[in-house]
Amino acid sequence: MSLTSLVFVLFCIITFFLYFIVPKKIQWLILLIASLIFLFYDNFSVFTVLQLLIVILSSYFFGRLVDKYRDTKRGKVFLALGIIIILGLLIYLKYTNLFLTTFNHFLMLFGNSYRFELVHRTSLIGISYWSLIMISYLIDVHRGAIKSEKNILKLSLFMSYFPILTSGPFIRYDDFKDQVDRGEKKKFSYDALCSGLVRILWGLFKILVISQRLGYFVDHVYGHMVVLEGMYIFLAACFFVLQLYTNFSGSIDIIMGVSEILGIKLPENFKAPFFSTTITEFWRNWHITLGAWLKDYIFYPLLKSNFMQSLNKKCKNIFGKKIGKKIPLYLSMLIMWTLIGIWHGGAYTYIIGSGLLQFIFIFLEDVLEPVSNKINKKLGINTDTFSYRLYQRIRTFLLFSFSMIFFRANSVYEALRIIKHMFVWNPYILFDNTSLYYAKLDMFDFRILIVSLVALFVVESLSRSYNVREKLFKQNIVFRWGIIYALIFAIIIFGCYGVGYDAASFIYRQF
Amino acid sequence: MKNFIKSIIFILVFIFLFLNVFDVLWLDDNNISLFYKEKKNTADIVYVGSSNAYVSFNSTLAFHKYGFATLFQSTDAMPFILTKYLIKEAERYQKPSLYIIDIAKVADGKEEYDYSNIRRTVDNIRFSKNKMDALKEIFEWKNVPKEEYVNFYFSHLLYHNRWKDLTVKSFEPNPELYKGYLYVDWTSQINPQEKYVWQDEERDMGKENEKILRDLIKYIKDNNLQVLFVLTPRVYSEEVNQKINFAISIIEDSGLEVMNFAKDEDLKIDPETDYYNFAHLNVYGSTKFTLYFSKYLAETYKFRNHKEDADYKSWHEEYERFKASFKKESNKDFEEVLKEYEEDY
Repeated sequence: MSLTSLVFVLFCIITFFLYFIVPKKIQWLILLIASLIFLFYDNFSVFTVLQLLIVILSSYFFGRLVDKYRDTKRGKVFLALGIIIILGLLIYLKYTNLFLTTFNHFLMLFGNSYRFELVHRTSLIGISYWSLIMISYLIDVHRGAIKSEKNILKLSLFMSYFPILTSGPFIRYDDFKDQVDRGEKKKFSYDALCSGLVRILWGLFKILVISQRLGYFVDHVYGHMVVLEGMYIFLAACFFVLQLYTNFSGSIDIIMGVSEILGIKLPENFKAPFFSTTITEFWRNWHITLGAWLKDYIFYPLLKSNFMQSLNKKCKNIFGKKIGKKIPLYLSMLIMWTLIGIWHGGAYTYIIGSGLLQFIFIFLEDVLEPVSNKINKKLGINTDTFSYRLYQRIRTFLLFSFSMIFFRANSVYEALRIIKHMFVWNPYILFDNTSLYYAKLDMFDFRILIVSLVALFVVESLSRSYNVREKLFKQNIVFRWGIIYALIFAIIIFGCYGVGYDAASFIYRQF
Repeated sequence: MKNFIKSIIFILVFIFLFLNVFDVLWLDDNNISLFYKEKKNTADIVYVGSSNAYVSFNSTLAFHKYGFATLFQSTDAMPFILTKYLIKEAERYQKPSLYIIDIAKVADGKEEYDYSNIRRTVDNIRFSKNKMDALKEIFEWKNVPKEEYVNFYFSHLLYHNRWKDLTVKSFEPNPELYKGYLYVDWTSQINPQEKYVWQDEERDMGKENEKILRDLIKYIKDNNLQVLFVLTPRVYSEEVNQKINFAISIIEDSGLEVMNFAKDEDLKIDPETDYYNFAHLNVYGSTKFTLYFSKYLAETYKFRNHKEDADYKSWHEEYERFKASFKKESNKDFEEVLKEYEEDY
């Protein structure tokens, strides 16, 4: 069920209505039913039901056992078993092709002509999210941070809460249970409705007006790389990052708005990432909950593991204290970033684009920081200025855009080909008033994009200082409604949706 | 309560803005949309059909001559299957004493129509059960995929894209139509091979077209409507000629009247001067046709003369506007042309 479809609108209205009229005792049950409908709407089969059952049953039973045998060896075994089953299913459904491709490469390398055929497996929506969410649940139970859930249906709701299924964010069991299960009945709130709706509108604006439009350009350039090269590819690479961001954060805005209306607050996933001055900072503001999840459940446990501790000691002895302590840190980071890459998708393009290249950038930032400071000092560059920060932001954006060429490409080979084609000098396409419009977007689209992106960056900039929606709702009614109507009509008129054929051909012809 | 009222006002303002915005983005006015802008129950005749109807019959001239008001429920290449629904729509708003149904498209198969032909008509029909019924029949007829239904029900899914095509003209009423009549000044001589003489042979027009026609006849009879079927003058191919003859036989067998102007020699349409193209008359041809046909209508149906009626003031204005436009385009006085033709009709 697409978040921008009329079916989703209808689905939400019915869910809101039922959720607010039933007694508190069964409010969660309405959410569970809605979530299951959402989960299976496009994908109902024995196979997908089985996927859900495997994860929910293993989370529930191993969660109970881990809780019962906490701090014992048996508890650890149950924890490991639970994680292996959930992770095993995730790998089976999403990463089989990654292994098969790797095997095929090896076979090719050793001159063997046999090739494993790639497989297509249907997985339930959001499996990458809810698998990790359930793993963190088991780990939290093991750590004693939470009690295991006694009601399997309530645990199912935690796993399948419909707003988070399409694009997260990662939620924590305790936060969720606090809001859904404890406290008073969630009553309908007019303020929450208004605030949630404005956030949904903002999300729709990002997706339908900006992201979809940028997508036309990006798809066209990537599909016609031999003809459209140089500046076209450079623009497409930058546009892809903006497309990705507006689509992803727009989806998050929609689900956050929906959840806000339901009275359940979800953690923020983005914080104006394009204002980041380094890649490290960028990732603190981009997909925040994934980063937090990986730090809590991968990075820190890894860093504190016996292996890393002994490595730390050995490295300090060999390379000295300063460098020695960095080696286990970088190794843990490398593992974490590789996992981030793998999580994004079962292909090497993801591992390189959203994993390894990010690690390299962060590693270089860390290693080169003293050098850079020295150069700035020697050249007398004032780094505490707007212009310097602007340079840093542009640099961060371009580095991230470069890495996303791999993320967007169909194969590593294609990504390298794209990069090769990018280095063609043809900046005139920006100025000759025709060339730019070869790639699906016309002059009107570019105008809309420029205005929309300026609006986006202004709002993002303001959001770094205060809550923009709160500020909006404090304004006088004429201004407030004016902004909301402008947003609604921008989506309705300039949004890229609806039938594929061109309305111009429908303009009334006399005969 | 305060919040509830605020929400209602917000929604009302939204609806107001939405309707106004889409009034501009929507298709330019055509005879289906203009139909709703006329005063209720003021039409004596509703003329249903494709572009032949409103290009051939100058309703302002007919009013000027005999004082009866003719409105059109017609669009370019309108599928004949929609005739029944347009009559139903006319019944809701006008209840005329006569329906004229143009049968130029009666034999055209569904493959001759694309979505734009259909949507030019159905999108301009106001939301009602009748519109839903029309859409239901169209979906079945054209085998519209289910996932596309929503685009017909929510037409703005299509028209919101039109913002790129807006011009200053989009914000003004359509100046080309004079009470529905479309005036074309251009003359193109009909090629010798296109000079076709009407034949009386018949050819089967297909089960589907026959069913559509029989359904329409049944509806007309069930509702006791006064209907006159006409075939407006234009050049037809041999195949279409024969299929139309088949349709004419069905209509006549059912006891309804058909006037075939395609073979009426008294009409004196001159292929050298009276055609805009092979399928449409120009202003000279339409003047001849209107004079000839309106005389018949006035004499046969004895409509009330509304010339002095204040409710029909706009009809005089539109006739004057048409004359001014004719003068501007052709540098001739329309009254002079009329005088010349009136000797023959």
